[in-house]
Amino acid sequence: MKKTFLGLAVLTLGLSSCKDFLTVVPKTERTTANFYNTAADFNTALVGAYSTFKHAGLYGSGAGSLIWLGEVSTDNTDYGFPRTGSSVNQFQIEDLTYQVGNDLFRDAWLGHYQGISRTNAVLDRLPAVSFDDALKSQYEGEARFLRAMFYFNLVRLFGPVQLSTTEINDPFAGNTLGRAPVNEVYTLIENDLIVAENILPTTITAANAGRASKWAAKALLGKVYLTQKKYGLAADKLKEIIDANVNSLMPNYADVFLSTTTFANNREVMLAAQYKGGQISQGGGFYTQWTPFSALSPDFGFTNGAGDGVNRPTPNLIAAYPAGDVRKTVSIALSYTSTTGTTVNEPYPTKFLQKGIIRGESDVEFPILRYADVLLMYAEAVNEQSGPNAAALDAVNRIIRRSRNLPVNTPNATVDLAASTSTATLRTRLELERRLELAFESQRWFDLVRTDRFVDVMKAQGKAAQPFHVLYPIPQRETTLNPNLGQNTGY
Amino acid sequence: MAQTPQTISGRVVDDKNQPLPGVTVLVKSTTNGTSTGVDGTFSLTITTENPVLALSYIGYKSQEVPVNGRSQIEVTLAGDQQALKEVVVVGYGTQQKKDLTGAIATVSGQDVTKVPVSGFDQALQGQVAGLQISSSSGAPGGNTNILIRGVGSASSGTSNEPLFVIDGFPVSGSGVGNPLNTINPNDIESIDVLKDASATAIYGSRGSNGVIIVTTKRGKANKSQVGLDVYAGYQEVAKRIDMMNAQEFALFTIDARNNGYLDNVPTGKITDPNSVRPTNFRIPTALLDPASLGEGTDWQDAIFRKARIQSYQVSASGGSDNVRYSVSAGYFDQEGIILNTGLKRYSFRANVDAKASKRLNVGISLLPSYTTQTDLPYSGHYGSLGIIQSALAQPPNVPVYNPDGSYGTTVPTPEPQAVSVQNAVKIANEYKSPSSQFRLLGNTYAEYAILSDLKFRATIGADLNYSRNEVWNPSTLSTAAATGPASAFARRFESINLLNENTLTYQRTFGRHAINFVGGFTAQRETSDVIAITANGFTDDLVPNINGGIITGGVNGGTVPGATGFTQPNSIQEYTILSILARANYVFNEKYLLTATVRRDGSSRFGEDNLWGTFPSASVGWRVSDEAFMKSQRVVNDLKLRASYGLTGNNNIGNYRAIGQLGGSNYILGDALALGQVRTSIANSKLGWETTKQLDLGLDLSLFDSRISLTADVYDRRNTNMLLTVQVAGVTGIGPNGITNPTALVNLGEVQNKGLELALTTRNLVGDFKWTTNSNITFNRNEVLALQSDRDQIFGANTNVTQVGQPIGMFFGRRQLGIFQSDDEARAYRTLPTQAAPNQPAARAGDVKWKDVNNDGVVNDNDREIIGNPNPKYFFGFNNSFAYKAFSLDVLTNGMVGFDIYNSSFFLNNSGVQNGAKYVYDNRWISPSQPGDGRFGRSIRGGVNNNGQYSSQYLFDGSYLRIRTVTLAYTVPREVAQRIGLQGARIFATGANLYTFTKYIGYDPEVSNGSGSQGGDNQLAPRTDFGTYPISRSYTAGVSVSF
Repeated sequence: MKKTFLGLAVLTLGLSSCKDFLTVVPKTERTTANFYNTAADFNTALVGAYSTFKHAGLYGSGAGSLIWLGEVSTDNTDYGFPRTGSSVNQFQIEDLTYQVGNDLFRDAWLGHYQGISRTNAVLDRLPAVSFDDALKSQYEGEARFLRAMFYFNLVRLFGPVQLSTTEINDPFAGNTLGRAPVNEVYTLIENDLIVAENILPTTITAANAGRASKWAAKALLGKVYLTQKKYGLAADKLKEIIDANVNSLMPNYADVFLSTTTFANNREVMLAAQYKGGQISQGGGFYTQWTPFSALSPDFGFTNGAGDGVNRPTPNLIAAYPAGDVRKTVSIALSYTSTTGTTVNEPYPTKFLQKGIIRGESDVEFPILRYADVLLMYAEAVNEQSGPNAAALDAVNRIIRRSRNLPVNTPNATVDLAASTSTATLRTRLELERRLELAFESQRWFDLVRTDRFVDVMKAQGKAAQPFHVLYPIPQRETTLNPNLGQNTGY
Repeated sequence: MAQTPQTISGRVVDDKNQPLPGVTVLVKSTTNGTSTGVDGTFSLTITTENPVLALSYIGYKSQEVPVNGRSQIEVTLAGDQQALKEVVVVGYGTQQKKDLTGAIATVSGQDVTKVPVSGFDQALQGQVAGLQISSSSGAPGGNTNILIRGVGSASSGTSNEPLFVIDGFPVSGSGVGNPLNTINPNDIESIDVLKDASATAIYGSRGSNGVIIVTTKRGKANKSQVGLDVYAGYQEVAKRIDMMNAQEFALFTIDARNNGYLDNVPTGKITDPNSVRPTNFRIPTALLDPASLGEGTDWQDAIFRKARIQSYQVSASGGSDNVRYSVSAGYFDQEGIILNTGLKRYSFRANVDAKASKRLNVGISLLPSYTTQTDLPYSGHYGSLGIIQSALAQPPNVPVYNPDGSYGTTVPTPEPQAVSVQNAVKIANEYKSPSSQFRLLGNTYAEYAILSDLKFRATIGADLNYSRNEVWNPSTLSTAAATGPASAFARRFESINLLNENTLTYQRTFGRHAINFVGGFTAQRETSDVIAITANGFTDDLVPNINGGIITGGVNGGTVPGATGFTQPNSIQEYTILSILARANYVFNEKYLLTATVRRDGSSRFGEDNLWGTFPSASVGWRVSDEAFMKSQRVVNDLKLRASYGLTGNNNIGNYRAIGQLGGSNYILGDALALGQVRTSIANSKLGWETTKQLDLGLDLSLFDSRISLTADVYDRRNTNMLLTVQVAGVTGIGPNGITNPTALVNLGEVQNKGLELALTTRNLVGDFKWTTNSNITFNRNEVLALQSDRDQIFGANTNVTQVGQPIGMFFGRRQLGIFQSDDEARAYRTLPTQAAPNQPAARAGDVKWKDVNNDGVVNDNDREIIGNPNPKYFFGFNNSFAYKAFSLDVLTNGMVGFDIYNSSFFLNNSGVQNGAKYVYDNRWISPSQPGDGRFGRSIRGGVNNNGQYSSQYLFDGSYLRIRTVTLAYTVPREVAQRIGLQGARIFATGANLYTFTKYIGYDPEVSNGSGSQGGDNQLAPRTDFGTYPISRSYTAGVSVSF
């Protein structure tokens, strides 16, 4: 009788054996069991890792956590939005009243660990497969570079963090893993970057625009050293980039951020989060969402909505630009014309301006590492290590000359820093130049914390900054799941 | 005195001369008895003097027949309409009600058609104890949430819906809208609700949420009938929210802007003109002069309408002893009470049974249907064109139409300080979301009698579904600008669910032992294939479909309002299930009942290390009333005690969940889109079903010749190894970009539902004037017994929490203590005597005061606690039927008591941005002398205290009692009917949802989480009201005639 049963099932359902009948494989999804075999698979996995830049916990499409934690938490910008139930998290950042349940911390944590997991998946599996060695090396270098960058952000935002260097496949494994000391995290970051700087390509073709180069790895490593106050190492590493002469400043400040500046022509930006309009889920909102909240104006030049008032420049930032600094007019508009023709005095960032687009569909890349930053970091490292020297002052002067629309490489007695500039003067000037040069690029908070200036600067703005504010709280979601995490002081 | 044994034989028929099988024939005052066979005959050897036969049969009036020396006796039993049907449909067979040891409730087709609705699920509400049904959307064809004995699973990815078995075919929910809409309620003969493990374990890994078996009408031999059933009527919205008029809204807004201004700008004065105020605190120009505004627009008038509903069915049934048929064709047309919404269904049924040979019976059930729906985005934010919120939020000073005939709107906002809401009527007129579904459910069988007691039955069936839906969101419906680029969405869905079942049935009575055995083997495979495509970047509106724009794939589905839930352009899903099953019933002496079942299921959904599960159950029953010691009394005419215990499973975990999957996460490299993949789930080879262990103790009691019938059950249902979606630590890095709560599916945790169900039928009056009451009430207590850890909190939609020691989905947030009556009171609100600042430093008079739960002197996120319970303390149905001669009146009421609803609709916020309820206007805090109701604070926009926090302020008691239907009917007397050539005729008028007694402030207390256009059924975040489609009140009249 059983045979009869099976016979019927064979007829109707194509049943061959129980085991086969019950084995069903996804037809519209790749699985971890059948992926990671070819060079193309690894490339696809790496693209997934790069896509982490667009995670809401990093830069998102223009309002990711790093925008808030890097800029709005400082004296550079605030949030031009009504204080409502939907803006509580953002205003905590502006007001320095951080709560552990704030989604922006959670997103930052999740986003960076997703990126780390994506790079771990590549690094775990690369040794076991064979394809073109050069490509394999490049992929390893990119994965290590990205992992280092994600950990570097984490350790600066949160201090000691969980250290995971292989893909986690036990759903409960993360619930007991404690936090590694800061120096262990930095050891991993440095190791990854030292490997990466040696195996990443020297040049990136236009077809690969967006991928990490050797120089990006060196710039990041320089920043890692600088952050740890390893000034000698930092100066040496950054000098390698300057000496290589592969990267250079764009003559015109505005051109750095223009969508029309081609990758091949832009030798200043060393790594950027890549955006592209056209409603393919890859557009940027660094300009359109940063225009004044709910405001419409013919000035804005985009359709389908109004801005959210993200990253509204503070009066303090606006006042910080000296007269004649072209970076002010490139970076900030002070007012707009309303639909009824009146002038509304509400400032908004125009650094990433692109007109004629749909809201949130900008092509402008968001710079993560650029040569101007390298020059300023180099000057800072030298200044802190041994005081100003000619090379350090020249690095800063190039930035200053450009900001006055002067030829970058032609000394100019009027604006150049004198050879006699003191360590303290240069330190103060560097703080200002970094602020103005890199405004809205999510550098300010990291700069102020690195130079131990955050609390003083914020207090001077009347903000209730506390010493513990140099780290953000570990997200409540994670501390609830894992009692071994503990919490940063003050939260 | 003994007498020579005498054998008598006889036949028992019903009043239509049909043989009655299973009638108990007992020699009165003895234990000597038998029951009738399939042809209604019996034979008995009698030794008693002057014997009297006592014949009894559930559903029929008992009768005593003196033998009077006859050897051949013909008895006609009169039907007893009040008693339950004699035969109950159980899984893979039928059983006599009296022999049941499981908890099964039966609803007749007649009761299903008492409520004029599109789907039978809506009609079941209030009819069965333990069956909790809530409509989550009043849209025609809207979803219902169906729970049997509470929420068993705390996993958000897991369905808590029962298994539906339609004419023997276990179906799965698929297609568009509510899959049960495809079945015409008029085609239903009966619905059996299987509740305890004894009844459901035969469905194994799909039985743990209970089983609802739907049986459609089949032909009866020698009983030809042609019928016509028609009803028609209209519907209207059952309740409106009393909103502010234009003048009130203006006053409210001015108040809110002034309060916000003073709060944020300490140097500000209320007299400051707009020019010096930040934009948020400027008063919109249109509202500057409230007195000039008057009533303004009632936007609810604009979108609600009187809507037609009509239903037609023609049917024919009959046949001979060899072939029986029952066929029907139906047309149902229900307009929605919101403009331009509605549902139409064309349904057919063909059931044929034939005797192919002496030993072979064959038959087929065919249920084809074609359903079309026109939808709009109903619930959801007005920014996503949610039409309810758009209508309610729109300032009332805006006209529906401007004098020039164009639509009045606040899009684009004339000023930065004003709200931007699209015209709801324009949305209804210009947004298009049609869908249609063709479904064919067919099941064929062949039954071969190997021996007279042993039958082999094989079935082959298929459930075919083809559906399509489209969305067209034209450029004119931007919520931010005068026009925005149009978007479109298209979806095609196909599923094929194939089933083969093979069972052997053995049924025999040996003396006082009766045995019934069923054993079988089944295999089922379901494959679905959906293509969902989004297009954006339209440059004009000339081609209103995906072809007119740039196809951007399915990944973008969410960017088209109303088209959510599709994450990829193509999704092919497949799953298989293979089973062996057996059930044995044993009855000793008609009094002692034993049932044992077992099913072994293998499913492709489970991990390779855990492919097969076994689900056994056992139950016993004792027919106390058949004991000799009960014979002498006349009070109790039926009493049965039941007990059951067993294991069932829940396999509703979706497909491929045990496999580690990758998903798209693309990026731009070289200025071009590059395909990226990231890990989206963790592989779990041990993933298996959820096991429910259920104990049920039951009692069936009839008193005073069945004038009073009571069925009572207590149950303890425990779901163990729950298919729990656990939060995983961020460090695992699982998930695509944008996931805010990475999770993994594991078997873990336990949830208990324990409860009491009472179903009482009383025949209060039985003379010319008849009055019968059917009532039922259910008390269910839900408690989470274990999760990953006792500290675990699973959040649903940020509003609800599931944690150990509490019911699933409790409301979680700050607890409102009241409203600060003065600035001094706010400043004095301190938990600790030493603290420097008040608990709420920013609070002022009129702001909300929250509890400092952790007593740390600061009110913040750490002060959230459980503030309410979405689960009812009890729910009930109270249904009365009155009959006098040819007239009858049915009144169905039902209700739920003791549960909370969180209303997050804009009409309750105090910010004076969107329009709000008149209640808020009247009851807000204005001054210490006008303190309002203590719930709503001052009107304020951008208040620093942030009064709009998720808190108990927006939590309301949802208890209600609803008059579900009132039906008045007149049955044309048979003589009159026959004179005009009819077999029978009935004329009726029904009012549905006539009134709901409730204090709830929203449209309807029967809300569930209103996500998605059809309303959602997320049991982790239940009863959150965000503007679902309101229910309608309907008035219909109809006629049923048979020829």
